[in-house]
Amino acid sequence: MIPLQYELLLSAMLLCIGLYGVLARRNGIIVLMSIEIILNASILNFVAFSSYSGDASGQVFALLGIAVAAAEAAVGLAVFLGIYQTHGTIELDKIRFLKW
Amino acid sequence: MIAYEWVVWLILLFPLAAFVLIGVLGRYLPEGGGHVAVGAMAGSFVLSLYVFIQVLQQGGLGGAFTPQTIEGFVWIPSLLPENSIKISLLIDNLSALMLVLVSFLCLLIFIYSLGYMHEEEGKPRYYAEVSLFATGMLGTVSADNFLQLLIFWEIMGLCSYLLIGFWDRKPEAAAAAKKAFLVTRIGDVLFLVGVLVIWNVFATLSFGEIQRKMASLYPGTLTPQLLTLIPLLLFGGAVGKSAQFPLHAWLPDAMEGPTTVSALIHAATMVKAGVYLTARAFIFLVPLSSAVEPPFTAILVIAAIGGFTTLFAATMAVVNFDIKRVLAFSTISQLAYMFLGLGAGAYIMATDVSRGEAVDSAGYSAALYHLFNHAFFKALLFLGAGSVIHAVNTNDMREMGGLSKPLPVTSKVMLFGALALAGIVPFSGFFSKGEILSVTFDAGSLNSGFYLLWALGVGTAFLTAFYTFRLWFMTFRGEYRGHQHPHESPPVMTVPLMILAGFTLVSGLLAYPMQGFGNLVFFQRPEAAFPLLGVPFQHLLLEGVSMGVAVLGLALAWAVYATKRVPAERFTASRGGAFIHRMLTKRYWIDDAYDAFGRTVVYGTARALDWFDRRVIDGIVNGVGRAGVVVATGTDRFDRQVVDGAVNAISLETVRTSLRLRQRQTGQVQSYAWVVVLGIVVVIALMFGLSFLQRWWSGLGR
Repeated sequence: MIPLQYELLLSAMLLCIGLYGVLARRNGIIVLMSIEIILNASILNFVAFSSYSGDASGQVFALLGIAVAAAEAAVGLAVFLGIYQTHGTIELDKIRFLKW
Repeated sequence: MIAYEWVVWLILLFPLAAFVLIGVLGRYLPEGGGHVAVGAMAGSFVLSLYVFIQVLQQGGLGGAFTPQTIEGFVWIPSLLPENSIKISLLIDNLSALMLVLVSFLCLLIFIYSLGYMHEEEGKPRYYAEVSLFATGMLGTVSADNFLQLLIFWEIMGLCSYLLIGFWDRKPEAAAAAKKAFLVTRIGDVLFLVGVLVIWNVFATLSFGEIQRKMASLYPGTLTPQLLTLIPLLLFGGAVGKSAQFPLHAWLPDAMEGPTTVSALIHAATMVKAGVYLTARAFIFLVPLSSAVEPPFTAILVIAAIGGFTTLFAATMAVVNFDIKRVLAFSTISQLAYMFLGLGAGAYIMATDVSRGEAVDSAGYSAALYHLFNHAFFKALLFLGAGSVIHAVNTNDMREMGGLSKPLPVTSKVMLFGALALAGIVPFSGFFSKGEILSVTFDAGSLNSGFYLLWALGVGTAFLTAFYTFRLWFMTFRGEYRGHQHPHESPPVMTVPLMILAGFTLVSGLLAYPMQGFGNLVFFQRPEAAFPLLGVPFQHLLLEGVSMGVAVLGLALAWAVYATKRVPAERFTASRGGAFIHRMLTKRYWIDDAYDAFGRTVVYGTARALDWFDRRVIDGIVNGVGRAGVVVATGTDRFDRQVVDGAVNAISLETVRTSLRLRQRQTGQVQSYAWVVVLGIVVVIALMFGLSFLQRWWSGLGR
């Protein structure tokens, strides 16, 4: 059995990688993928604590989170596709139309 | 009881209706509504005569007629019904006689006016005002209480002002009207105060009620001082209205009005109201009960003012050249006789009352007898003078003379009037004047001061005869000194004169059929006594004295002005004589003194008040205004700079802050994400920090 610390450490690393992707990368698709990584880090936490405490409800939550992540990825891709069609780019520092 | 007592109201309402009718429609009526006025007055006269005859038939002679109040309506209601003020009419011997007298003389004067005023402008105004004047006098003599009397009294005051100033384009007339109004006003204020005092003491103003309550209120509520004060205040009103010293100054100037108005004021209305009021004030002067001490001081004041004014006014009449002013001064003098008679009579009666004897009302009757006679001969003299003025177009006797030829009727009727005024037997003035002087002499046995007043009265009788015949001789004898073509007046003027001339002879002799005037008009107790018949020798002697001095005066006037045997210049030759002449011509400088008083004191006070007003009051007002401006400027500056500054600063700062803050609204998703991450980091750091601190604190506490 893998100790809980390892699993939490992996989850934290995934979170940091995801945060880096969200904050530093300019491509919208990459940012979306980084968000997925953050989401998966949290799902990994659910699973880790579930196996650690022997309670199955965490795993149920993990399944729900994976479903939500899939839906979110679909919506996000659709949004980016729409932005690309109207503005011809998905570079995040070029998308400034939420400004005043 | 008077049958059909409501007709008494009509006596007042006829002339009042004439006033309204002429006032509204006079312009469209012939003679400016003069015929309406005459008709209304005739109606009043007929009804007054009816009332008078009823009073006579029901025991007017001998006094069984009980004073009758004709109930009107409640004017000012009160919680206690007996305290409410009613408008009612009082009919007793005195008011019945006054109603007849006033309405008869007004009627004659109105008829005469049809001729005299024929060519004047503004006849509707004239007839409306004289009708109201007659209403005022009729209301005054029939009033049941003092307030009602005061109201009609004031109506007369207003009408005298309007009529004296009838020729309102003449500055002298306007000034005379103003003078008459202001001088009588002094008396009116005293009268008003008197009425208020009466109300305060008696809680009623009706004559009968006051008389009934007198004994029960004395000496608690009605102190002796108040009992003296009340008749003096009422007499103050009478002094103003009847032009007695010191308020006599208005009457000679009142001659600026038309002569008919002078006749109206002097004979029938206005000045007689003062005597009437004093006669009504007898309820205070002569209380019914012997428990009440009569106000002798007030009585003496009335008699003294009467005695003094009678000689005082007569002396001024001697030197005047204005035919109407001579008559005006004689009116003052004759009214003073009436006050003297009232005062002397009241003194005798008050003594009788305090001794518990039956009252002897001879003085009261004598004074009202003189009022009655004087009304006729003074109306005659004024209307005769009007006829003369009508003929020669001047008032100045120096431009008359020898008028008996062109004016035969006028000269004869004027002679009748002059004989009556001078007091030559058997003309009316003789009887009443003689009785007044007899009563005054009788009062002398009670208070020797009355001997002095009697002497003044006798001296006046001499002067009266002198100036009356001076007037008559200067006007009708000698050569005509004017430049007109005098002609006799039309019958509408001479017929009233002849009627009045008849009355100057008859009104005195009327005392015989009614067994003495005291049998008709009296206070408390009638007194049947024929004039000159069956009286004590002393009275015959006194009447002889007053008649004798009158004849002397007449003779002197004849010597000076008719035959010119004694030239008039001789009297003013010496320095003393010249000084007296100047003093009399200047009317003892009293008018000048009043004018000076007006100029210096009244005008000075007005100027001082004006200065005070302009400088102090206006200064305060302006100061307040200026202070307001200063404060307003200050608050304006505060408002603009501090308040507006604060508002502007806040808004400006808001704008600036928003400009700065919107720099952070970059629209770049990743910069927002940075904020979110940093926020999370801060939250986590805080949680760790706080739990560390908590642990540290609790570790410290342990």
